[in-house]
Amino acid sequence: MQSVENILRGLADDRATGSLRLGKAGTFYLTDGRVTYAESTAAPRVEDLLTASRRISAHAVRQARQAATEGRWGGEQLVDKGVLTRGELEFCVLNAVLDAAYFLCGATGHRPRFRPGELHWLGPQWYFEVTGLFRECKRRKARLDETWPSAELDALPVVPLGRITAQRVVLTPLQWEVLVGADSATPPADLAQKLGRPAYSVLLAVRQLASSGLLRMPESEPGAVPAAPARPAKPAVTSGPSAPGMPAAPDPPAPLATPQPPDTPDLLPKRTRGDTKIPDAGATSSGSSDWLPAATGDPTDLNLLIRLRNALEALT
Amino acid sequence: MLGIEDCLAEVMAIPGALDAVLIDQTSGMAVATGGGGRHTDAEKSAAGLSEILRATLDGLAVASPGGTIRIRDMIITTDDGHHLLRPLETVFDGPLVIHVRLDLNRSNLALARHRLQALSDCLITT
Repeated sequence: MQSVENILRGLADDRATGSLRLGKAGTFYLTDGRVTYAESTAAPRVEDLLTASRRISAHAVRQARQAATEGRWGGEQLVDKGVLTRGELEFCVLNAVLDAAYFLCGATGHRPRFRPGELHWLGPQWYFEVTGLFRECKRRKARLDETWPSAELDALPVVPLGRITAQRVVLTPLQWEVLVGADSATPPADLAQKLGRPAYSVLLAVRQLASSGLLRMPESEPGAVPAAPARPAKPAVTSGPSAPGMPAAPDPPAPLATPQPPDTPDLLPKRTRGDTKIPDAGATSSGSSDWLPAATGDPTDLNLLIRLRNALEALT
Repeated sequence: MLGIEDCLAEVMAIPGALDAVLIDQTSGMAVATGGGGRHTDAEKSAAGLSEILRATLDGLAVASPGGTIRIRDMIITTDDGHHLLRPLETVFDGPLVIHVRLDLNRSNLALARHRLQALSDCLITT
């Protein structure tokens, strides 16, 4: 499949005018072979940026959009209304296009479709050469990577640390917005939508915060300690009852007996119950010891034991 | 009411202006350039200038009593001339930064500051 860059270069060479739709990822709009607009599902659109800034109501944007015609584009209508200056509109479009282009550059698995003549309702406000656009995308990528080389936080919810080790922190306004807006459930892309800020800028702020040690890392960081045991603990607990539970499944009286010690949490009594009831359920050939015999029958348990033994040997 | 290109043309009309560049501080990108360009690589200088502003903001924030800082403009005088940096707050993202390099002998710093102030009010209304 042709890359986005090659397709756009081809269109630029033909001095094409129209829209290049990349499946669900987004759309590039070209005028005479130059990119005049781009939108991506991963980034806020111009109207989102405008309305989030409270400068313009969603209603005014809708009006301008509906009234947009070939000769009088939506952008000109907004400027004429006096809600924003020409410079602000240009800068807003510039920001939104570069932002969307950054995410569209890496888009794959789409079916590109070019519709000649189709233009965005804002009209051409700023012209990007295709080469320059992609050079800027690469520069932005490099900037992200030099800020914080790992992409692991890019799609995860932003979780600020409750306590930090630094004695003093200097934040940019956007970093502040990210920290205030972070609810430990929203990933950077959604946060950008919520804040009405370009998605790339939010991503950059998140990486800057990560490099300053203000965000919880997926693992290994001290901040992850409350989360790290919680995650392995769940599988460990579920595998606990299930492994002995497989052989113990045939006897129904055992589950009925569990409610008897109600003071202790649900997961612990099973083990204590297992200890006491094993002689009771001795029919399942697990006579001698509590849980070792149950392990011997299962080939996966055997493998586990062998790996454990190897690991222990390797340690010594 | 000015567009970005018109604004830079106006900046270049400031007496003694040698070259000018408009920078997006967040991404460190050169949005537009005016004049000169013979000796300078716009992209590199944009990156360098936004780094200057960032470092100054960080340093001053730590040094000022409240811990917060807002720079109106910044003047750096070198052997060859003056560098005037003016951050413009925008409602979308930013800030935008106007940088203009002025000739040491032919420029009037006070006038240049004044003109830059007036121009930035035309470009962005906050």
